[in-house]
This record gives sequence, structure tokens and C-alpha cells, in this order.
Amino acid sequence: MGVARMKRGIMHSCARTMLVQASWNYDRMVGVGVGYAMEPLLRDLPGGAGGTAYTDSLGRASQFFNAHPYLTGIAVGAIARAEHDEIPPDHVRRLRGAMVGPLGSLGDKLFWAGTLPTASGIGLFVAAVVSPLVGGIVFFLLYNVAHLAMRVWGIGAGWRLGTHIARGLGAPVIQRGLRLAGPAAAVAIGVALPPVSAWLVQDLAGNAQVGVALVAVVGIALSRWIAPAFGGHRFGLAAVVTAFLLGFAWA
Amino acid sequence: MSTALVALWGTMVGLDLVSVGQVMIARPLVAATVTGLILGDPLGGGMAGVVMELFALGVLPVGASRYPDYGLGAVAAAATVGGAPGALGIGIAVAVGLFVAYLGGEAMHLGRRLNALDLRQYARSLDAGDAKVLARVHLRGLGRDAIRSLAVTAVGLLLATLARWIVPNVGSAVLMSVAAIGAGLGVAAAGALQFAGRGRALRWFGLGLAAGSAWVWLA
Repeated sequence: MGVARMKRGIMHSCARTMLVQASWNYDRMVGVGVGYAMEPLLRDLPGGAGGTAYTDSLGRASQFFNAHPYLTGIAVGAIARAEHDEIPPDHVRRLRGAMVGPLGSLGDKLFWAGTLPTASGIGLFVAAVVSPLVGGIVFFLLYNVAHLAMRVWGIGAGWRLGTHIARGLGAPVIQRGLRLAGPAAAVAIGVALPPVSAWLVQDLAGNAQVGVALVAVVGIALSRWIAPAFGGHRFGLAAVVTAFLLGFAWA
Repeated sequence: MSTALVALWGTMVGLDLVSVGQVMIARPLVAATVTGLILGDPLGGGMAGVVMELFALGVLPVGASRYPDYGLGAVAAAATVGGAPGALGIGIAVAVGLFVAYLGGEAMHLGRRLNALDLRQYARSLDAGDAKVLARVHLRGLGRDAIRSLAVTAVGLLLATLARWIVPNVGSAVLMSVAAIGAGLGVAAAGALQFAGRGRALRWFGLGLAAGSAWVWLA
């Protein structure tokens, strides 16, 4: 594949990874999306688009797969490269299977349990002390710097390293990110909670503020220790419905 | 005009949650604030967004887990809060928001099951590497999610209109706000404890809480 065509293919595939979960389902999870994202990188296989190598690879590409959505580019690049390097189909399947766990776990730790709560905590803090509009903008920009950098780096690293992709996942920047993710999220939410609480209850009377604190303590105890499976969402709904009924009964 | 804009924004928010980009416009802090801007009440929308964001911090959207669509919930909450600004309206807005979030999550689950049916119907062509069928199956999933997002937004706007009409007659509005704010703070704190675990990060959470409390005390 020529360098210009290869770069175009990578950019095209990278753009398609933005839609990778559109057909998410309980059978193949993100598999169809990975096939859709990889397709531009397979067009230059021997025989071209529609050739046997292309259709065989595309058939394999849309089988079961699951990973964190931002890291699917790594798999797309690495598997497409393996197909171009004419690695035997069984080895490609094994490479694919071997990436499912690490790419899911790595992305969950880096993003869902790290970058997202960290950016959210910072955004909430700014929303409370400056304005919600500025808080929203700060959150959006902070989060997407990390998010988009990972997407662009991922597909390039996958294509560059192919079957040696494990080397890329062990990169110092990723390992450092994994170490920092939990503490950063914890400290960001910790810093945000007091000013957010103060801002939200500023219009409430003293006894109502005590009520807010009591409900919060019940929420922590229920979500964390008493009934974690009940879920924060159900607790929230139960709390507002109970409050509505109590107010209705008193009226 | 503003209703049509909110419907369009809600559709984008719903798509962002899973199907398109995940650039986090589906996060309540963004979704509700922009809805407030569209409806001419960015502060009210932002306040609803902050409370809904606290609830969203309790969710870890990993793998095949089922979770509420807090983005669409936040759009509905922001559309509701305009009727009663400040702490008075936040309880009713969050009640509407949480219900719509639940509805959005269930609709997403239905969409995923429909995607699976589509996949089974075309499995042979997909396995044979038919690029046209692959694109069709994939983009139909996208279309389904767009319909889900628009429909749930429409239900949210309808509920918001009803709630705004009811708000002046609800005697328990303040009590509902107390419950909504307290529950949101409790869920966010429990989420932070979950991220922190029992190790070093728990100390970081404590340090953060101390720093945030000092800020409030000094401000």
C-alpha cells in the first residue's frame, strides 16, 4: 500500500471508529462496528476491494469483539496490519481474542474510572464557583483533549505495531496514566463536592439544608454498603417520589 | 422554534451517549446547560445539569452494563426547571430528568436487542465479508439510535410541559428539591468512594474533600 493511500485509509478508519458502537448488540457486541471501521484499511489487500483476501478479512473483522470504544482503534489498526502482513487467519483470530480483555480493562480504568470523573469533578467545581456554562466548557475541553489524543494515537500505534501491539500498551505514558487515574478522580470529586453542595443549598432554609445532608448520608450508606445493587438512579427516584408524597400528605 | 432546537439537541445528545463520538455532550453538565441556553435560562439549565451530573457520577458504563441515559434526562430536567427557577423547581426537574433517564436507558436496551435481530438476519452475508451489508447493518443501528433519542427527547419535553404547568400547585416542591439535591450528593460521594477504593486513592479523596471544604470556608 502506498504511504499516501495508507495515511488516507488510517484517517478514514479513525473517523469511522467514532461510530464504532452504533450497531452495538448482545451477540457480537462492538464486532460489526470494528468491521465497519476496519473496512477502509482492507481495500488495498491483494486483489483489491471485493477480492478474496478482502472479503475473507472483512468476514473475520465483523465477528464478536468487545473493547473500550476509544481503544477500538488500536485493535482496528493492529488487525488490519496483521491481515496486510498475511498472518495466518487462526493467528489473526487469536490476536483479536487476546486484545478483548486488555483493551476493555485499560480503557475502563483510564477513561470511565479516571479521565471522565476527573474532568467531571473539575467541571462541577468550576460550575459552582464561576458558572455552569464555564464549568461545562472546561469539562468538555479537558475531557476531549485526552479522548481525541487516545483515538488518534491508538489507530496509528495499532497499524505501526501490528501483532506486537502489546509493546504499545505497555508505553510509559499509558502506565503512568493508569497509576494516576484513580487518585486524580478521587481528589477531583473530593474538591468539587463541598462547593457544589454549598452552591446548590444556598437558597434553602437551615432545616432544609440539614435535610439535604441527611438524604446524602442515607444515599452514601445505601449505595456503598447497604444495597449497592439498588443503584443511585433508583435511590434518587425513590427519594423525590417519597418527598412528593410526604408533601402531598402534609398539605 | 426553541422546541425544535431542543429536539435536535436532544437527538445529538442521545446519539453521543453510545453511537456517535462519545465526546460527552451527553454528560448532564453539558447537555442541560446547552438546553438552558436554547430556552433562555442557562443558569436554571446549568443547575439542573449539576444535580444530574452528580447522579451520573454514580455510573460506571462498562461493557454490557445497563445504565440510565442521563444526557436525555438532563435535557428534560433543564426544560422543566425553566418553569420554577432556583431551588424551588430543581426537585421536580430532577424527578422528570430521572424518569426520562430511565426511559432512555430502557429504550437503548430495546435498540440493542433490535440490532441483534438485524445481525442474525444478515449473519451469513456478514461472515462472507459483504461490505454493503456490513455498512447497512451498522448504519441501521445508528438510525435506530437517532429515532430512540428523538422519541425520548419528545417524551421528555412533553413531561416538562406538564411539570411546568403543575409546579405552582405542588406543595412539596421544596421537599422534593431537598430530596433531589441530597440524593445527588450522596450518589456522587458513593461513586467517588467506589473510584477511590480502600487504598491510596481514598486518602486522596479525603484530601480533596478537605481542600474543597477549605475553599467554601474561605470564600
